[in-house]
Amino acid sequence: MNEPELHGVNDSASLERGYRRLLACYPKAFRRENGEEILAVLMACAPDGQTRPSLEASIDLLKGAARQRLRPRAGQPRSVFAAVRLMWAGAAAQLALLITIIVTAGAVKAAVLHADPAAVPAAMTHITVDKAGAPIVIAMWLALAWTINRGRDAARFGFASFFLLITMSMILSMAQGGAVYAPADFIAGAVEWSFTLAAVVLIFLPASNRYYRREAPVLV
Amino acid sequence: MQEATFLILTALAAGSQHGYGIISDVSEISGGRVKLLAGTLYTALDRLRADGLIGVDREEIVDNRLRRYYRLTPAGEKRLADEAARLQAHATAALRRLKVNLNLAGGMA
Repeated sequence: MNEPELHGVNDSASLERGYRRLLACYPKAFRRENGEEILAVLMACAPDGQTRPSLEASIDLLKGAARQRLRPRAGQPRSVFAAVRLMWAGAAAQLALLITIIVTAGAVKAAVLHADPAAVPAAMTHITVDKAGAPIVIAMWLALAWTINRGRDAARFGFASFFLLITMSMILSMAQGGAVYAPADFIAGAVEWSFTLAAVVLIFLPASNRYYRREAPVLV
Repeated sequence: MQEATFLILTALAAGSQHGYGIISDVSEISGGRVKLLAGTLYTALDRLRADGLIGVDREEIVDNRLRRYYRLTPAGEKRLADEAARLQAHATAALRRLKVNLNLAGGMA
């Protein structure tokens, strides 16, 4: 084999690796059905000597992967898919809440100090706990969205517990005067709580029950 | 119906084709204006298969790579015919009105 040919082989192997990495962004079921075929088309479309996926093709693949992931799964009722989208929104709301807590911490401390200096340590502890807990709550939102999406019945009860946890945290925050001292945090928390409530209702609707009570859950 | 979907169905109306064949054909039908990318193509093909408008005709392995040929289903043929008729009706209406306008403009000049 002479040099240029060897180059060609290396080029195409490196291009294929690049495309495989992009295809890995698609859901497994879609990849299993269409992956090799898409790869064949991508390789056929690439001009000789190309070693890396083109920007255009990469963006197009990422868009396709996002669309596949944002679509309801086969046999999934609208109520469950709506709940899953609410859970993604819930993770975003928790992130917004974390940012609000960090940005307004100074103002909250000043408000508590002004009204009731003795309550400052408790309020600061509450803020610290909320800040430390936020990433965990975001992770919980995402993990629950993932399992709820896959039709695991246990995940519904996990989510119901999560709802109780968020509700208790809201009540605790109200008891400490959160609505008065930290109105921005309280509103962000209330928005997030309303997502939890709506999602709980959706996943326990009769239409959703059928999805979770199937003989064997359709996974992957 | 999106233009890409319409063109994919049109490409398959002449007979079964594989992915790369559809891309070339769509480019030809559209006079080189529509260049489908692989991600867009397979998002559309997946959808069309799920909706029962196209089906898999056969599979081949060429140069160690999978080639799947798609064809229109009867439902797909009907859908494409309906859509084509609708587009034609719109195009006819547009051209008729333009002609009236052009004639009026010509008459006034």
